Amino acid sequence: MPSPVSASDSIVTLMDVAVVVERVPVLRGLTLGVTAGESVGVVGANGSGKSTLLRVLATLLAPVRGHGRVLGAELGTDESFAVRPGIALVGHVPSLYPRLTLRENLRFLARLTGRREQAADDALELVGLAPAGDRRAEACSQGMLRRAELARVLLAQPRLLLLDEAHAGLDDGSIGLVEVVIRRVSERGGASVIVSHDQPRLRDLADRMVEIRNGQAVPADEEVPA
Amino acid sequence: MTRILFGRRLTVVGVVAMSAGLVAAMVAPPDRVQGDVQRLMYIHVPAAWLAYLSFAVTLGSSVGWLWRRTARYDRVAAASAEVGVFFTGLAIVLGSIWGKPTWGVWWTWDPRVVTTAVMFFVYLGYLALRRATVDSVARARRSAVFGVVAFVQVPIVHMSVVWWRALHQPPTVLKPGDPSIDHVMLATLLLNVLAFTLLYLLLLRARMRLAVVEEELERTSLGEGQELAGNAVLAPRLERS
Amino acid sequence: MRQVPSATPGPIRQCAELARKDLRLELRAGEALLVTAPFGAVALLLVPLAIGSDAPLLRQVGPGLYWVVVLLFGVLVTLRQSAVEGPAQLAMLRLCGVHPAVRLAGRTLANAVLLVAFELLLTPVAIALYDPDLSGWPWLLPLFPLIAVGLAVLGTLASALAHGLAGRTTLGALLVVPLAAPLVLGATQTLAAARYARQPWAWLFLVLVIDLLIIVATALAARQLEESA
Repeated sequence: MPSPVSASDSIVTLMDVAVVVERVPVLRGLTLGVTAGESVGVVGANGSGKSTLLRVLATLLAPVRGHGRVLGAELGTDESFAVRPGIALVGHVPSLYPRLTLRENLRFLARLTGRREQAADDALELVGLAPAGDRRAEACSQGMLRRAELARVLLAQPRLLLLDEAHAGLDDGSIGLVEVVIRRVSERGGASVIVSHDQPRLRDLADRMVEIRNGQAVPADEEVPA
Repeated sequence: MTRILFGRRLTVVGVVAMSAGLVAAMVAPPDRVQGDVQRLMYIHVPAAWLAYLSFAVTLGSSVGWLWRRTARYDRVAAASAEVGVFFTGLAIVLGSIWGKPTWGVWWTWDPRVVTTAVMFFVYLGYLALRRATVDSVARARRSAVFGVVAFVQVPIVHMSVVWWRALHQPPTVLKPGDPSIDHVMLATLLLNVLAFTLLYLLLLRARMRLAVVEEELERTSLGEGQELAGNAVLAPRLERS
Repeated sequence: MRQVPSATPGPIRQCAELARKDLRLELRAGEALLVTAPFGAVALLLVPLAIGSDAPLLRQVGPGLYWVVVLLFGVLVTLRQSAVEGPAQLAMLRLCGVHPAVRLAGRTLANAVLLVAFELLLTPVAIALYDPDLSGWPWLLPLFPLIAVGLAVLGTLASALAHGLAGRTTLGALLVVPLAAPLVLGATQTLAAARYARQPWAWLFLVLVIDLLIIVATALAARQLEESA
């Protein structure tokens, strides 16, 4: 078991960060801190840079200006290699291999990260996809793939969870999964950053809300017109 | 140093050297066997020399970029490769034109010719890779990696075709002892090699200046004034149309 | 102190897992062996139609043509679509803590296995169509894997360089094929030397040296390519 982490432990610090994607500036002067145990909801209009922010936090996109630390690693340096296994990113595009079955996908990830295959099966079980485990990902519905992605998070046990469009495609019965996944991360002393357009649900899940506006993160204590 | 290399003097010296080289190539004695056709040598050999020089410079600056990550190295690598591809092509075409009356064929499977042709295509690929990559850092990174791997392969390609068959005329200048070439002709050749090297520096400098301007243009369009991606998205107009 | 959630397996395990995944994907897509290999066979069939069905001539050019087809179409095997990771999959692999060199090594391993299979599939076709002189055939045994590995590494490198670019299959091929010239020479000359009772060792050694050189170069380049992928 990981040692309990004090609430002041910093998981994410971004200072005055600017990010450019394909020559287009997306974020500019963004400052954000996330501490252990916290879950932060992110809202903003279409194209405001929410998904880009998640990619930066996942250490997959380096800022062109400013600096930041994620799980102690300075962004844009080789330090990120060491912390990446502690980060899980669920983007809005499914990351499973379409031609592999759900079980093969998860078992592949389990072996790649040094876990037992049983852990993959358990995760599938938990998200209610065990009976569909032998179905190829390409034959699964959007909602099933979302659940499989959450199973992937359960398997990875990240310290930093990054969820894009957290509620997209999930039915009423499985929407509670998002909360379960986030809670597990917090309990282990991790933190979550969640993007969703379902603001009422997001406010229930998140400890605090920020809005991405003009490339910056501003507190969003009231409902944001999206 | 920079002042000398990048000052106006280089242009003057370059133009003078090129003119002198041209005049010398005209007045040098014709080859006893080949006649005037042999004068192609005064362009063919310097062009081939520039080909190797530019790709070596591309290698050096690719390594420099990977090491230091400075945009200048990428500019040098790109500019040098472009100049190199041009002169490689020129060397091949002139060699072919020279070869027809001399050897009776447009093309010969000589190691040096084959290596040069391979090099031409390799660096054509290098330029294609640069063209295809939009993001400037990714472009610099990918082409630096390829710039290194490509040049490392060139000696191997060369050695393999040397072992395969060797027909090209043996070295006449860079060999120990007295060069087996007329001294006037040798002087003319060396003058032209010098002139072409200066031309290379001129072209490299011009191409790099262009690259700087291009980058500045890109930077201005990326500057503080540029709209953020999100600002291009407005709320939909839902009122009745 | 940072904590990594689990004991990440060693690079060799990871590499094997990645290769296994690639091969399973290829098995389901059938791109390399069910599409590219027949395409290569068609190329072998077309040449005699173009240059004439003169048996002694075909017998003479057969081995060379075989290796040219292996090179040109083998590049397509390495650039196959089923071996292209989308941004989401790439992000997932990176976040699994897979080092870029390991990722390239896994791809290379799968490529090499597929290329050996590809060579073996085309061999009977070439023998049937061209009836080449098969003396010295045991030299093919080391040659098949050596050529496959060299081509696999170059293909992996080209695939990584052209990742996500327009026209990646053609661009990748343009980057690889000229550099692979010594591999073709090595392959044909090994066999020619064996046929004329000369020592084929030198050519085989050349292929080995090239393999090692491009493996080292690619391994060194892997870290550099990571951010661009």
